Amino acid sequence: MKMKKLYYDVKKCLGCKSCEIACAVAHSKSETLFSAIREEVLSLPRKKVLHHKDKNYPVSCRHCKDPICVDACMAAALVYDKEKGMVFHDESRCVGCWMCVMVCPYGAIRPNVKTKIPLRCDKCQDKDEPSCVKACPTGAILWQEEIELPAAVKGQSPSGTVPCKE
Amino acid sequence: MSDSKQKSIDLATQEILKKAQAENIKTAWDRLESQEPQCGFGQLGLCCTVCDMGPCRIDPFGEGASVGVCGANADTIAARNLVRKVAVGASAHSDHGRDVAHTLSLLSEGHTHDYGISDIEKLKDLAQEFGIDINKTKEEITKALSKKLLEEFGRQEGELVFLKRAPKKRQAIWKKLNIAPRGIDREIVELLHTTTMGVDNDYKNLVNTGLRCALSDGWGGSMVATDLQDVILGAPVPIRGKVNLGVLKENYVNIVVHGHEPILSEMAVKASKDPELIKLAKGVGAEGINLAGICCTANEVLMRHGIPVAGNFLQQELAIITGAVEVMIVDVQCIMPALAEVATCFHTKLITTNPKARFPGVNHIEFKPENAYEVAKQIIKSGIENFTKRNKERVNIPKQEMDLVAGFTKEIIFQILGGKYRATYKPLNEAIISGRLRGLAGVVGCNNPKQTHDYFHTTLVKELIKNDVLVLQTGCSAIACAKHGLLIPEAAKEYAGRGLQEICEAVGIPPVLHLGSCVDNSRILTAASYIIKEGGLGEDLSDIPAAGCAPEWMSEKAITIGFYFVASGVYTVFGASPFATLGSKNLTDYLTKDLESIVGGRFEFCAEPMQMAKIMIEHIDKKRQALKLKPVMYQ
Amino acid sequence: MKQYIIIGNSAAGIAAVEAIRKRDKESKIVVISDEDYPAYCRCLISYYLAQDIKEEKILYRPESFYKENNIELLLNKKVSKVDPRKNRVIFEDKNQLGYDYLLIATGASSKFPQDIPGIKKRGVFGLRTMKDINDIQGLLPITKTACVLGGGLVGLKAAYALRKRGVQVKVVVKSKQVLSQMLDFEAACLLQQRLEENGIEIILGQDVKEIIGEGEIKAVKLDSGKVYGCSLIMVGKGVAPNTDLIKETQIKINEGIIASTLLQTNISNIYTAGDVCESFDLVLGRLCVNALWPVAVEQGRIAGANMAGENINYTGSLGMNSIEFFGLPVISLGIYKIKKEESNLFEELKISDAKAGRYKKLILRDNFLTGVILAGDIKNSGVFLRLIRERINVASFKDRLLQENFGYPDIIDFVKEKESVYV
Repeated sequence: MKMKKLYYDVKKCLGCKSCEIACAVAHSKSETLFSAIREEVLSLPRKKVLHHKDKNYPVSCRHCKDPICVDACMAAALVYDKEKGMVFHDESRCVGCWMCVMVCPYGAIRPNVKTKIPLRCDKCQDKDEPSCVKACPTGAILWQEEIELPAAVKGQSPSGTVPCKE
Repeated sequence: MSDSKQKSIDLATQEILKKAQAENIKTAWDRLESQEPQCGFGQLGLCCTVCDMGPCRIDPFGEGASVGVCGANADTIAARNLVRKVAVGASAHSDHGRDVAHTLSLLSEGHTHDYGISDIEKLKDLAQEFGIDINKTKEEITKALSKKLLEEFGRQEGELVFLKRAPKKRQAIWKKLNIAPRGIDREIVELLHTTTMGVDNDYKNLVNTGLRCALSDGWGGSMVATDLQDVILGAPVPIRGKVNLGVLKENYVNIVVHGHEPILSEMAVKASKDPELIKLAKGVGAEGINLAGICCTANEVLMRHGIPVAGNFLQQELAIITGAVEVMIVDVQCIMPALAEVATCFHTKLITTNPKARFPGVNHIEFKPENAYEVAKQIIKSGIENFTKRNKERVNIPKQEMDLVAGFTKEIIFQILGGKYRATYKPLNEAIISGRLRGLAGVVGCNNPKQTHDYFHTTLVKELIKNDVLVLQTGCSAIACAKHGLLIPEAAKEYAGRGLQEICEAVGIPPVLHLGSCVDNSRILTAASYIIKEGGLGEDLSDIPAAGCAPEWMSEKAITIGFYFVASGVYTVFGASPFATLGSKNLTDYLTKDLESIVGGRFEFCAEPMQMAKIMIEHIDKKRQALKLKPVMYQ
Repeated sequence: MKQYIIIGNSAAGIAAVEAIRKRDKESKIVVISDEDYPAYCRCLISYYLAQDIKEEKILYRPESFYKENNIELLLNKKVSKVDPRKNRVIFEDKNQLGYDYLLIATGASSKFPQDIPGIKKRGVFGLRTMKDINDIQGLLPITKTACVLGGGLVGLKAAYALRKRGVQVKVVVKSKQVLSQMLDFEAACLLQQRLEENGIEIILGQDVKEIIGEGEIKAVKLDSGKVYGCSLIMVGKGVAPNTDLIKETQIKINEGIIASTLLQTNISNIYTAGDVCESFDLVLGRLCVNALWPVAVEQGRIAGANMAGENINYTGSLGMNSIEFFGLPVISLGIYKIKKEESNLFEELKISDAKAGRYKKLILRDNFLTGVILAGDIKNSGVFLRLIRERINVASFKDRLLQENFGYPDIIDFVKEKESVYV
C-alpha cells in the first residue's frame, strides 16, 4: 500500500505560518487556539516555515525511509513503522538526549527544552489528515500518496510538477 | 454547504439558504467556510501591519519572535490594533452624525425643501442644552443649533456639550482620567496618531485614549445623529410593524433600503406612497410599491413609519436571493461587497447613493439633501421598470413574518411609564428598587456567521426576561429578537418572569424594547442618565443594576460601542468571538479585570448564551446588593 | 545456511543482527555477550541510576526480540580468543564455536588509571554496564559523598546521577575545563556554571593522587595535597576498546580493530563495528575510534549487511556528541578546538550570550565546515552535520549559518540528495 505523505508546493507558500499555529494547536491539550496559548506547558509547532531565495519552505519531519534519527536514538524511543510509513516516537522512552536533533539532516526535529522532548511531525495520527494541510490558506501543503518527484535542477524548483490531487 | 439549521435558527433564513445552495449562489456562510481556518495571528491580535518594516507577528507560543521589528511587543501590537478599530467605529457613527447635522444646516439655510423641523419641542430642548435663546424664531434657533452642533465635531478644547447629560459623578471620573472628549473629530485623529509607529507603546494608555475616542462617539457623534434625526424626521413613538423576509410581497414592486442613514430612506418612504408612482407600478402589472428595510436603515424607517423590516445583517444577500427584489438602495456601513455579485444572479438592481460608498460596476445615483426627493423618486421609478424583468419562476418568498412593536425612546419610556402629563422615570426606578424588576440589559449589535444566526440574541434575551430583566435593544439584535416574537406585548406572558410580566401588562409594553438603530445606543446612555437623575439607584451610571452586551457582534462599531459603554461604567459582554487581544494577556486582563476599578465598567467575553445571561444576571445582582436593594421579588 | 557469530550484544551487535535478518531469514545467528543482561541502552544507565527512567525502559529491544528473530543468545559468555584460521571462537571455559562470518563488536571498557594507589578498592566504579549500576545502587544507601574522577561525558553523567540521588558530588578534572574532548573552553564554562548551580562541585586542573581508606574508601587526595572525604568513587577516564580476544591473531589493530570501508578486518570473513572498531574519520581524514552510539548502530548495520552479501561502503564517522544537563543542551560535531599553530588555517564564527545561556561556534577551513559547538540552542545541528559530512562549500551562505532562521532550505541547492518533498 502506498503511504500518504506531506508535500509542499513552495511556489504557493506565502509564509503566513498558519501551519505552524495549527500544528501547535493540534498538539496542545485543549486543541483550541485561545486556550492553547494559556496552557501551562505551551505546545510548540512541529513545523517551521523558513525563507530562502524568495520562497518559503515549511520544514518538518519527512519520515525518511532510512531514518538516521532512529539509528541515533540511544533510548530506542524511535521506531520506523513501515506500515504507516512514519517514524514513531515513543515519548515515554525518550530521555531528551537530543541525539535525533543532532543528526537530522533537515533540521526538522527541534528540541523542546522545557519538556525535554524533541518536536517532530507525527502526521496528526489521531486525525483524518494533518492539521497543517487544513490550515494552509493557499493549498501549498499537499497530503497525498507517495510520488516520485522529477529530478530538480539544483537551485530551482521544478515547474509544472504539482502532483495531481487525490 | 453544511446544515442550514446550524447556520441560522430563523426558518426564513434556512429556506433561502437552501435556495441559494440549489442555485449555487454563495453567501457569507460559504465565504466563511472558505476562509477557515482563520489566521491565528489575526485572531490573537498579534499581527502588526502598522509600518512597512513589517508585517510583524508575535509567536503566541513564546518560541519565536516576541517583538516586532520596531520592538513593539504583544501588548503594544494588540492594543494598537484594537484601538484603531475603536477609531474606525467612532468615525462611522460620528460621520453619520455629521451628515445629519449638515442636513440641519442646509435646511436652516433654505438649501433643501425636502426636509423640515418635525419635532419643535426637541429642537428647543437641544437648543437649551447648547445655550441658545429659545425665544428666537424656529429658523434662527435651527441655524444657531446646527452651527453649534457642527462645531462639536471640530472642537479643539473643553468638553463635548452632551457630556453634561451624564451624572456628575461620571463626569468627574472622565475628567480625572483625562478621557472626557474635547472634540469629536479630534479624538479620532488623536487616537489614530497614537497608534502609528513609535508613538504610544503603553497598552493601558492606548486603551484609555480609545475610551476617550469612544466617548466622543457615544456622547458625541451618535448622540448628535439620534437627536437630530428625531428633530428633522420626528421622534419615534411606539408603532407596530412586521419583520422577516415574509414582508416582501409577491405582486408588489419590492424596494429594499439598506444601510444606516435615514435621511435618504425617509424620502424613499415618501416616494413609495407617491400616487403617481403607485399608478406607474400598477401600470406594469404590480399591485403597488412595497418598501422594506435591512439593517439599521430598516430600524430608522420602522421606528418612524412602521415600514416592515426584511431582515438583519446576515439576511441582506438572502433578500435578493428571494428573487423578488426590484431595487436595493444602499447608503453606508454594513453593506456587504458581495451584494454586487449576488444581485447579478437576479434582475435586482443594486443602487449606491452615497459618494463615500461605491461598488465597481454598480449603478450609482448620488443623493444630496438638496435633491433628495427627486433622487428617491428616480430610484423607485427604476424599480418599477425593473418589475417586468422579474423571473417569476425563481421567486421564493418565505412565509415567515412576525409582528413587533418598535419606537421606544428615552422620552417614550418616560411617558409610558409615568403617563403623558407626569412624565417621569419614577415607576421604572421603583420597579427596580422594589425588586419587581431585577434590572436592565442593553442587548445590541450585529450578526456574525461564526455564530448560529439569531440564536445567541434570542436565547440570551429569553433568559434575561425570564429573570425579570427588562431588555433594551437596538440594531440587528433587535431585529433578531423581533423575528422570534419577543418584541410584542404578548411575549411578556410567554417568556417574561412574573415581575417583568406585571409591568408589561400594566403599561402594555413588550418585555423587550426596541430603541432603534445602532447610533441609537446613545438613547440607552441618556435613559440611564435619567434613571440616576430620578434617584434611588445610586449616583453614577455604574451603580445601576444593568449590563450591556453584543452577542453576535462583528463590526468595528460594536467595539466602539463596547468601549463607550465600559467608559460609561457599564459591564459589557461580547459573544461570538473575543476581541483580537488574547495574544496579549496583559491587555486582555486590563480590559476584563483592571478596568472595573478604573472606570466602573469592564469587558467580558463569553461564547455561550445561557452562560452570558448568567454572568449578566450575576452582575446585576451584585449591583443590587451594592445598592442594598431588596431581594428580587419573584425568584 | 551459514553460521554467523556476533560477539557483542549492544548497539553494533543488534544493528548487525537486524541487518542480517533483513536479508537472510534462514542462517543461524549466535550472539555472545559477557554480560548477563539482554541488549540494553548502554547510554541510559546513568539516567537509570539517576532514577530518571524505570528499569523496563532500559531494554534496547523487547525481550521477545531474540526468539522472534531466531537468534541464539549466549549470555555471561566471554570469548577469550578468536581463531581465524579455523574459523572458530574459543570461550573462557575452553568451549568452541565455529562460524562462517564473525562480527567483533566487543565494545570498550572503562579505563582505570592504574597508577593511582587504591584504584582497585571496593567502592571504585566505572559507568559502563548494568553491573556497575547495580553495584553502585548497593552502596547508595550509605553514600553521602562521592568523588568523580574525570570531567568527560561519562564523569559528568555519573556526577549528575549521583547528585540526583542526593549524594554530594565533587568532580575532579585534570584539565582546565570540563568535557575537554567535546567542548571548547567557553562552552565548557557555560556548562560548568550550570552544573555548579545545581549542586555539583567541580575541581579543575587537579588529579587524584591517592585513594585513601582501609577496606572502605574514606577520601581522595589530590595533586594539591588537599584531601576530600568520600565513600564512593566513580571513574570517567575514558574507555579502551576490548581487543584482548584478537591479540594473538593477525587481525590488524591500532587503537581499535582496523576496518576497511566495508567494515571488514584484514580477514575477509571477520567484520568489526562499534566502539572496538577503528574506521575512517571524515573530519580528521585518518583512522580513528569514534566510540559513539549512533556510529556503532550505523557501522553494525553496514557490517551486518555486508556479512549477508551486500557491498555497502561505509563513508566514515566523525566525532559528535549530544548531552543535556539541567536544561542546558550541548552538542559538538567534528573538530571542537583548534591547535594554536594551525589557527591561521581555520575560521571561527561565533555567537556568545552567557546571560541567555547560549553559545554557538562554527569552525571552518577553506569554507568547509569542520567543527561545531552548540550550547543552549542546538537546533539545526543535523544540518551542520550534513555540511560536514557532505563536504559542502558554505562560502555563498556563510553569513546565514548562525542566523536565527537558518535552516535546511539554505542548503537545499547544495545537497547531493534529490529533493523529495518540495515541489
